[in-house]
Amino acid sequence: MIEKQENYLLSMIHSELADAVGREYVSGNAADQLGHSIDYYWIPEMWHDRGRENPKPEFIVHPGSTEEVAKVMRIANQYKIPVTPWGGGSGSQGGALPMYGGIILDTKRMNKVIDIDAESLTVTVETGINTQHLEWAVEKAGFSTMHLPASIACATLGGFLAHRGTGVLSTKYGKIEDMVMSLEVVTPTGEIINTLPVPRHASGPDLTMLYLGSEGTLGLMTKATMKIHPIPESRKFHAFLFKTMHEAMEAGANIMRSRLHPCVIRLYDEPETAKLIKRVLGIDKRGAYLVFGFDGPEKIVDLELEQACAICRQQEHEDLGTEMGQAWWDHRYKFFYPPFMFHMPQAFGTLDTVATFANIEKVYWAMKNAVQDNFPEATFIGHFSHWYEWGCMLYARFIVENPPTDPQEATLYYNSIWDLAIRAAIREGGVINEHHGVGLKLGRLMKELYGPAFKVLTGIKETLDPNNIMNPGKMGYKGV
Amino acid sequence: MYIDSYKDTINACRFCFMCRHLSAAGNVTFRESDTPRGRALLTAKMAKNLRELHPDFVDAFYRAELSAANRFHCVSHYDEAGLILAARRDIVEAGLAPENVKKLAAKLKKVSFKVEGSGDALYYIDSYGSKANVPKDCKVISGGDTGKALEVLGFAKEADAVFAKFQVAVKASGCKTVVTSCPASYDMMKKRLKGVKVLHSSEFIKGKRGSGTVYYLDSDYLKNYQEKMTAPRDLLTKLGYTLKPFGTNNEESYSAGEGAVIYDLINPELAEKLCNRIVELTDSPATDVLVTASPYTKYVLNKFAPQLKILLIDEVASKGI
Repeated sequence: MIEKQENYLLSMIHSELADAVGREYVSGNAADQLGHSIDYYWIPEMWHDRGRENPKPEFIVHPGSTEEVAKVMRIANQYKIPVTPWGGGSGSQGGALPMYGGIILDTKRMNKVIDIDAESLTVTVETGINTQHLEWAVEKAGFSTMHLPASIACATLGGFLAHRGTGVLSTKYGKIEDMVMSLEVVTPTGEIINTLPVPRHASGPDLTMLYLGSEGTLGLMTKATMKIHPIPESRKFHAFLFKTMHEAMEAGANIMRSRLHPCVIRLYDEPETAKLIKRVLGIDKRGAYLVFGFDGPEKIVDLELEQACAICRQQEHEDLGTEMGQAWWDHRYKFFYPPFMFHMPQAFGTLDTVATFANIEKVYWAMKNAVQDNFPEATFIGHFSHWYEWGCMLYARFIVENPPTDPQEATLYYNSIWDLAIRAAIREGGVINEHHGVGLKLGRLMKELYGPAFKVLTGIKETLDPNNIMNPGKMGYKGV
Repeated sequence: MYIDSYKDTINACRFCFMCRHLSAAGNVTFRESDTPRGRALLTAKMAKNLRELHPDFVDAFYRAELSAANRFHCVSHYDEAGLILAARRDIVEAGLAPENVKKLAAKLKKVSFKVEGSGDALYYIDSYGSKANVPKDCKVISGGDTGKALEVLGFAKEADAVFAKFQVAVKASGCKTVVTSCPASYDMMKKRLKGVKVLHSSEFIKGKRGSGTVYYLDSDYLKNYQEKMTAPRDLLTKLGYTLKPFGTNNEESYSAGEGAVIYDLINPELAEKLCNRIVELTDSPATDVLVTASPYTKYVLNKFAPQLKILLIDEVASKGI
């Protein structure tokens, strides 16, 4: 943190940063400071809503190249100034908040598509690119990244890499960590390194994976080579309604256990079916809504879809057909626009958890009971979003209509819901979390999640970032 | 304050990131304050204390390119563009407008509309337009901006006064059809001119047949404000041209600041950056033929990206490519 009274020093640092990246790209502009003091985390939103000030950066820096990032890192090390990377700023965990002031390193200027390799099906790109822009550029060349999360238009590629993001087609195409070939990284001390060019090798531990999910605490990923895919000939969907979430879960898990390859499965519990599926898709029925899709050559899609439908028909069901499956796909992002998304003065949070099929329903009930028993005023809804051969992700949410009005009291209240729910999930074999990351929100729970293994993580952090300049205070690592 | 009428937009946009990829200014400045979310955060602060509004906030409101691409994209169509116009109006009435904006507004107030020629239709030429493209059987009205530029700058009362003069001149012409190639003026007239048919030139001109491939750059006012995407494309197709999609998508604004009407006069560096973005997205800058329905877009691209071949749709219709 830079002491405000040291204006002379601030001016000197400003000059050095301007020399590194260009005068136009360093700012202490009040309008931008406000924009960088709030991300998609409920606490800073609430703080702003109640008229309080959030922590602000002294400098907002927009480097235009890897070399410029390296220069900024060296300046920050020289003066021991915190550096908080910022891409789209749309993270929900407070990971991009400048808690100790210092430098916001905004990556959006580094947005170039460097190369599309149509032979290996890869794209090499600067990580500040908005992922919708990346997808559009790749589509123009006849391919797709197949990374299509609801936040595709909000976030940068670097943001997804930093917190291990997931797109809606993750069941077939993988999470972001499955899509990466290699990385260029600027270390906290300003060296530029590259990880190995392919992700499958036997040349020691996987350095690429070390940086994925590190949330800007171990350096800044500046370039990435990502897999791309042909645009499939066909993509089809089908939806069913089951009496209970348990029956729907059984159907979904059976599809995965059968080793069919859906590109997506999504299951909404009864309360979310009644609330959001009704509101967005207009299906006003009781039960749990399950939708799945397949893509690829049409003949294979038709075969796999029929097999999956046959699995679902083994349970008591109502067949909603392809139309209600396609409608979900067509409106899949609508859930996240206002007024469909939750909003102030409500308190809300996504208790994103992932577990095996053996544990996932236990996790669901443990969280739901923890929230509802202790906070009867809260509504608990959930859907199961990302399905793998071994289990799936629970996208559970709590909503409180009228949380405390005092910001500090509201913060205590909000965090206590999280603590109870997450600890209940961990006890049942759940992992926090599948794709939102840790940030500021869940850092305090990392020691409990990892146990003694957390020392390995802190050891890596201390070794790579001796002056603790990179995103201090996040992921459970120490602050300034 | 005028922004009080936009509380729903402020509340919806201030924590929403879903349209930021379409922030034309934000995509070239990379600044958070150049996105609808950033601007909504600023207006939320402004609503609490206008008198102590930070000059950096005022600058941010005047950097907005007002393409309305974000509003068009939003599934709920929250009026982020209307919010900025309201904020500018509040700023002007509080006496907080930047000096360059005030000077520009003073110039824009000086209008003297005159009608020339003969014909059943009245053709309005804005300051970026040209008489050369006007069909011979039209009367011509010129002599200043219709008030749209003043309205966009936040000088609403002055805009009303200018438009009233324009309206008098239109009435005196006796014409029942008014045509313009300027999409901003078209938007203004569509909303305000009563008892007269208002057409964009792409709906009016006939043109001669041609051939070749062109890239059509959508006008913000025709696409995002008037939701009239088809007339220019229909005309080009009817005349025999093959249309290729420009850039990587059909949502981004490729008008180089047309939504802000006189963007290059208050933000020349940003106008240049918006033009550079169009150059970046052009498949083959040396050979591609770009067509716009906006005289402003043609003017500003000629100014900052002279390497591009950019034609007004009226020129294509009358002279070919």
